[in-house]
Amino acid sequence: MSESSDSETVTALPVAGGRQTWQTVWALSRGRRLVFLSVTVLGVASAAVGLVTPAVIGGLVDRIHTGAATSSTVGIALVALILAAFLGALGTAATVVLAARAYHAMLADLRESLVEQAMSVPQNVIERAGTGDLISRTSDDVSQIADAAPQIIPTFTTVVFTIIVTFAGLTALDPWYGLIVVAVLPVYVFTLRWYLAIGPRVYRSERAAMSRRAQQITESQRGYDTVVGLGLTRQRHDTVVNTSWEVVEHSLRARTVQNMFFGRLNLAEYLGLAVLLVIGFILIGDGSSTIGATTTAMLLFLRLFGPINQLLIVVDTLQSVLASLSRMIGVLTIPQSGSPHTCRPSEPRPADGLARPAHEDTALCERTVRLEGVMFSYDGREPALSDIDLDIETGEHIAVIGASGAGKSTLAAVIAGIHSPDSGRLVCPRGTALVTQEMHVFAGTLRENLTLANPEAGDEKLRAALVSAGAEGLVDLLPEGLDTEVGAGGRILTPAQSQQLALARIMVLDPELVILDEAAAEAGSAQAGLLDQAAAETLRGRTGMVIAHRLSQASVCDRIIVMEGGRIVETGTPDQLREAGGVYARLWSAWVEAQAFTPGAGPHISRNSHRPR
Amino acid sequence: MADPAGLGRGPLTRRLPMLWQAPAQPPRADAFTIAPEAGSRRFLLSVMFSVKRFSIPALALGIAWQAGEALVPVVMGAAIDRALATGDWQRLLIWLAVLAAVFVMLSLGFRLATQLVEYATEIVQHRLRITLSREVLHADRSDAPRPDGGTVSLMTNDVARTAAIGLTMYPVAEFAGIIIIASTLLFVHWPLGLIVLAGVPAAVWLMGLLSGRLAQDSRKYQTLLAGTVGRASDLVSGYRVIKGIRADAEASRRYRLASRETLAGAYRNVGLLGRFLVGSNTVSGAFVGGVAALAAWFAVEGQITIGELIAAVGLAQALLPPMRMVAMNAVPAWANARASSARIFDALQGSHTSPRRSGRNGGRAVDVDSRLRLSVDGHRAIDLDCGEMIGVLATERTAASVIDVLLSPESSTINRGSYRARVTVSPHHATLFSGTVGQAFVPDHDPGTASDSVTEKSLLAKALHTAACDDFISSGEDADREIGEMGNRLSGGQRQRLALARALAAFPPVLVLHDPTTAVDSVTEQTIAGRLPAARAGRSTIVITASPPLLGVCDRIVDLREPTESQPTAEGPKDIQETEGADV
Repeated sequence: MSESSDSETVTALPVAGGRQTWQTVWALSRGRRLVFLSVTVLGVASAAVGLVTPAVIGGLVDRIHTGAATSSTVGIALVALILAAFLGALGTAATVVLAARAYHAMLADLRESLVEQAMSVPQNVIERAGTGDLISRTSDDVSQIADAAPQIIPTFTTVVFTIIVTFAGLTALDPWYGLIVVAVLPVYVFTLRWYLAIGPRVYRSERAAMSRRAQQITESQRGYDTVVGLGLTRQRHDTVVNTSWEVVEHSLRARTVQNMFFGRLNLAEYLGLAVLLVIGFILIGDGSSTIGATTTAMLLFLRLFGPINQLLIVVDTLQSVLASLSRMIGVLTIPQSGSPHTCRPSEPRPADGLARPAHEDTALCERTVRLEGVMFSYDGREPALSDIDLDIETGEHIAVIGASGAGKSTLAAVIAGIHSPDSGRLVCPRGTALVTQEMHVFAGTLRENLTLANPEAGDEKLRAALVSAGAEGLVDLLPEGLDTEVGAGGRILTPAQSQQLALARIMVLDPELVILDEAAAEAGSAQAGLLDQAAAETLRGRTGMVIAHRLSQASVCDRIIVMEGGRIVETGTPDQLREAGGVYARLWSAWVEAQAFTPGAGPHISRNSHRPR
Repeated sequence: MADPAGLGRGPLTRRLPMLWQAPAQPPRADAFTIAPEAGSRRFLLSVMFSVKRFSIPALALGIAWQAGEALVPVVMGAAIDRALATGDWQRLLIWLAVLAAVFVMLSLGFRLATQLVEYATEIVQHRLRITLSREVLHADRSDAPRPDGGTVSLMTNDVARTAAIGLTMYPVAEFAGIIIIASTLLFVHWPLGLIVLAGVPAAVWLMGLLSGRLAQDSRKYQTLLAGTVGRASDLVSGYRVIKGIRADAEASRRYRLASRETLAGAYRNVGLLGRFLVGSNTVSGAFVGGVAALAAWFAVEGQITIGELIAAVGLAQALLPPMRMVAMNAVPAWANARASSARIFDALQGSHTSPRRSGRNGGRAVDVDSRLRLSVDGHRAIDLDCGEMIGVLATERTAASVIDVLLSPESSTINRGSYRARVTVSPHHATLFSGTVGQAFVPDHDPGTASDSVTEKSLLAKALHTAACDDFISSGEDADREIGEMGNRLSGGQRQRLALARALAAFPPVLVLHDPTTAVDSVTEQTIAGRLPAARAGRSTIVITASPPLLGVCDRIVDLREPTESQPTAEGPKDIQETEGADV
């Protein structure tokens, strides 16, 4: 919110308007509308049953007052009271259960279509907004709505009906008692308006302070080595203590607001009771009402305190539920990319109407990938890629090198079909896999992590894939083999193991074209050789594109392209480029010079004395 | 300043003092000391009763609140009986005033009691967090275990449940309310009061029994829901991977399965809620009905008056809220407090008694007079001379032990404070902490090295230049840029370069870098390697890496990829122990 200072790069995901939210909710309720009707009927009925108790007691008081009551009257009253209690309880329970089932089912439908949508929204929309926003909408907002259920459902199924029916009962007792409403309603309205202006803001900042606190604690815990290594213990302790104190401030303020709220509700309660006594006094005085009826009215009104307070408190929750809903539904409104986000070999992807049928392209059988004059821009202004012409032949391995921001990863994403080019022509195979340097291990078993790529793959295939990725030891290392839980909540794999897992996934997928985008980058350098080998194994027998981090990776490819500022500036075989004296040649000679200092295998200590200090 | 806190106070109330708000500066709060022999129950009680100066007045106010709640139906009954039945205006006014007084008592009692309890709770929570932060999260002692993932929940959820100051007020005040109501009934008609007094525990017990099963299942459902929510954020976090292998359909299918399982759990939980509602509403309805009928029978018998009957029924109805509260809040809160306080107790105890870190890292790091001697089991010791830059080639496992040894040097021979001030270790995947770019830098490094801000600034600029951060931190304004949680607003390469700049800016006598450039492209890596020696001139540096450009600029290279036959030398520690004091 306040942090999004870099607004030129962050474009938040859309939020649905009120009308759209209601339309979606209405659509979700399809097939459940009969349930909601029965909830209403049942709710009114059980609220009406709730009136029996005060009515019976009031009647009893009158009879005793007039001396008409006997012990059998009391007996009948007792039976009626217990029966009413049981029937009321049954009705309330049925109402709540019916409503809650429908609520949870609708929420389940909504969250499922949300995740489905999240998986198919164009990637650059998400990249612009940041994944954090989407994560929070698929997780925090879902929890928010689910957690509100125990508050929202009883309130809007039983409490509301209880309040309405009770007031109706009061008025039926004597229309003059309706004056109580006139006395208390302004106080409630004023209180609610005041509360809604203050409360949500205060609670939001309390929750925000809490999540900052949790975040700082998490960072200290996860960054323990950094904290100790850089001698930051004092500083981190102070930060955690300060964020902890910040929560204290916000919590105390929130409690004060809540207390002021309850204070005003108490005022309304007193006003109501006072008016009730005055009305009762007048009515009994002119003989139009009895002490029993006044007792009934008093009991009825006392029973309203709880429900009214509950209703007013829930308004706040209801607001956050609606906010969460509109954020979730907002994601559903994002249009899926106009052109299919996966490109098919049979239909070269026309980006600007320059399409030609693929079979005209006679060379297609030898060329897996063809790019002609491809342009791409993330924001529609500054091109990230311009004038890219590139053919990759089937079975060819090409390396892409260049500094950060040269457009290497964008090129990879365009070829992988994740971004659609703004103009130009792109042909690429159906079976394309992209491995990025992001090494996400999904929470679940090792098997589930691999079968994500191909649900039908058997254990045999999975093991073979792991062996090819150089991770044959991994299965034996894990206590339960393929069934070991990994990722969040399970065993945390090392960066190298995660990378091997990513490569093994590709093996399981068995695509035609593999793009490795700095795939071995984040692993410790000690593992680099091992991962290079695994990467080579992944590329064997496939067309491959490697966004190389280390020149050692690039030098073994068939062809190298060098990128700068979104354009291809050099292209050729490693030998050609070494001779050419360009960017690659300079990098290469520096690399070779550095390589000379690296000792070979074997435990020895070398000194390079010639380096000046 | 009419309304500084933005609480929306009206013109009538804004002059009133705001009671028990948080002071701007945290009060000096001492850490809890823990007696290992005391046990976790004693620990919890000591926490709960650690703020008696707040909790005792809060209890008094709470009892006033509950007494007020109990008095409302009594006063109403009396008003109907004495004023309405007689038609006396003056009496009506008197009873309206009495009712107002009762409302003032219950309203103020409640507000002051809850605010006091909240204040006390927050202070105790804060103290517990300080204790845990010092003893568990940021314990820099060789005998302290590394904080695990549970620490976060320990310092948030468990602390909140253990600071159960509310338990010293709410249930006690509610119980007092029940007692007041029952004794009022005793006063009205003693057999009636006695029967009610006997009936309350039975009804509370029944309600507690009914709510227990629901609460248990609700926790189960919460776990299910958290699992589904967690799965969604897991899938979305990894969506680039999913897109890369076109597994979106499979990912959605898996989420749907989890979601349906949670829905089934929700249905089960709702079913139990229904049963609970039937049970508890029947019990409470029958309780009120029973008392009313009993009182009515006594009234028919002429043993009590109409006013007393009305009061009795009102009182029976007033008994329900405190009974529900005790059954449904206090009992589970106590159970939660017990479990949470036991976890905190164990963590605090464990921080003193669990196996020592140095026991497993298998080696030692000794630092004296700018010379660092580092030995890892199975490898030759490394001696780092003053001003030297050493490249270390090591397998992942050996590199991890080297880092471990450096992070946790031999406890008995090293003065940790002076060691930390001299030796800085920047681990691979060094964590960036949320805040601005400027805050990422260590403000209080060794006062001997850079005391004035000019030196500090030039050090900072030099460090940013060395780590090739110029492309994303170019101007002074960039210092205020938020880097996000754990630096998540930066790319992997930017994070790594900023972490390197942070380590360089601290300008420690000894700096250890582990794989500082793995996420940096080869062009930039060479730039960094070229600038590194000048940035570390005159100071000692160890770089654990296999990167040729980095190794190329080192004075010498130590290869730890294969173990030596000779065991680490046992010499050294003794003499160093003696000279160490002089070093500080």
